[in-house]
Amino acid sequence: MSSTRQQPPDQSTDRTSDAERVDELLRPEKPTEVFRWVVTVVVLVLLAWGLSADIKWSRLLEAPGEFATIVRLMFRDPDWSALPGLLSAMWESIAMAWLGTVIATIFAIPLAFLAAENLVPGWVAFLTRQVFNVLRAVPEIILAVVFIPIFGLGPQAGIMALGVGSIGTLGKLCYEIIEGLDDGPIEAADATGATGVQRLRWAVVPQVLPELASFAMYRFEVNIRASAVLGVVGAGGIGGLLAQYIQFKVWERAGLALVVVVLATILVDAISGRIRRRIIAGPDGTGDVDGDGLPDDLDPDERARLTTDPVGGGAGLS
Amino acid sequence: MSATAPSRRVARPDEPPPSRFGVAMGVLFVVMTALSVVSTGFSLDGIIEDLGRRNDSISGLLNIDLSVITSTRTLTAFVETLQMAVVGTIIGGAAALPLALASTEVGARTTTVRWLVRAFNNVVRAIPDILWALLFVAMVGIGVLPGLLALVFFSIAVTTKLTSDVLDGIDLGPVEAADATGAAHVAKLRTAVVPQILPAYSSFLLYNFELNLRASAVLGLVGAGGIGTRIEFYRSAGRWPEVWGIIVLFFAITFVVERLSIMFRRRLV
Repeated sequence: MSSTRQQPPDQSTDRTSDAERVDELLRPEKPTEVFRWVVTVVVLVLLAWGLSADIKWSRLLEAPGEFATIVRLMFRDPDWSALPGLLSAMWESIAMAWLGTVIATIFAIPLAFLAAENLVPGWVAFLTRQVFNVLRAVPEIILAVVFIPIFGLGPQAGIMALGVGSIGTLGKLCYEIIEGLDDGPIEAADATGATGVQRLRWAVVPQVLPELASFAMYRFEVNIRASAVLGVVGAGGIGGLLAQYIQFKVWERAGLALVVVVLATILVDAISGRIRRRIIAGPDGTGDVDGDGLPDDLDPDERARLTTDPVGGGAGLS
Repeated sequence: MSATAPSRRVARPDEPPPSRFGVAMGVLFVVMTALSVVSTGFSLDGIIEDLGRRNDSISGLLNIDLSVITSTRTLTAFVETLQMAVVGTIIGGAAALPLALASTEVGARTTTVRWLVRAFNNVVRAIPDILWALLFVAMVGIGVLPGLLALVFFSIAVTTKLTSDVLDGIDLGPVEAADATGAAHVAKLRTAVVPQILPAYSSFLLYNFELNLRASAVLGLVGAGGIGTRIEFYRSAGRWPEVWGIIVLFFAITFVVERLSIMFRRRLV
């Protein structure tokens, strides 16, 4: 920028033209702003259209006051007698998330073989992928709604909802791994005269397991968030109590329930995050030690992939 | 672990012992699974038996009624859902940018601010969308408004998290350059930081919109407006063909939106 500075030409020229000339000489030209304007206008039009919905705006004014009152009622005098029940309901949510993840993994692996373009004809892979896409798009809670008549009220329906809902994301990851398998170890195993099982055990599993395990753990974290609310529709876990306390305004218990959910989520995230870091970074790997307190400490590639791909199945990604 | 090693010959290297971490993970897996099965009463037999029984949900799917879309109330609910998702994304996304900036070392003026903002972000992120909806329904009553507010907070959670991850990896060169010119704090952020993350940020907004669209389908289950209200209406009336009709139509729409959004996002990043 400082390269082409020239002597001010003539003292007598008036100030504005001086400034103009300096500007001309030193400043890079501003990029055209057409795109920015188009985006701004589109966003504003969309916003206006959205806000034209049938909304009772007067209620919005009451919200901050209500919010303050509710927060005060929630945390001023929590009803500790509800804690044991809440903790066991939270554990049920965690257990549901775990089983859901296990079931999803069991189904995702064989399905992923049907979606790998290097193993099956193109159209089979395409169809299987569309199944994954559909499963990814449906929120677990909707699955729970349609599963309850089948599996009855309670955790069974919730587990199946989480399991089926996670097949999409886990399956997608699995076929990506399968398509990216390194042939080297497999050829090496073949060269030693390994049997099919041995080849699988020594050449394929070690390549697949770390990434799969790490991603399944990540999915477990996502599923905990989902399973904490499945109870809202009657599919087991802490969501049922939570919905009941909030809808009937039992605030001194609802506050406690919220705290339990938030703390349990953060705790499981932290533990699971450490395990994932250990899996990806290895025993002496330092992983991500930037100390910025991010719970998601995958390596950059993994993170980039997670953040730019639609991973979440709906309720609470991230 | 104990591979077929009948006799150790000279040339063969020792098999490494199983890693302690691996064993620990195996044990953890078995224990967690066993405990989970016990405490949820999960049984495969039960699942298979349930699947074999006649039930309303599956017979509803077999008689799926796609003509629900012609009902005015359902159509209105569809539009409401779109509106909620759009407004939630725009307002929440707009709020997310400063929140993400203020949670990083470059963007926050003091450590205290940074930690406060991070604590706020973490709490917002730990509360799922439907829980926000429940809370807002309790505050402002049922309707579109609580759904809108829930999606605003949900969007803040998602976009802030994704954006602050990208902010951790920005190039500090432009920031130093801005500092060297004596730029004010906000000017520095605007000219040296934001342009670096803008493509990723826009892509996150689109992604967030997809999530919002899906989320807005469930908010209605607790009275927070949108298409979920209709799902809940037909469900409580036991009209499963209509329930399935709405679900299939709605997810056909989200599917199309997702494809479009992925197309846009590919071009952005």
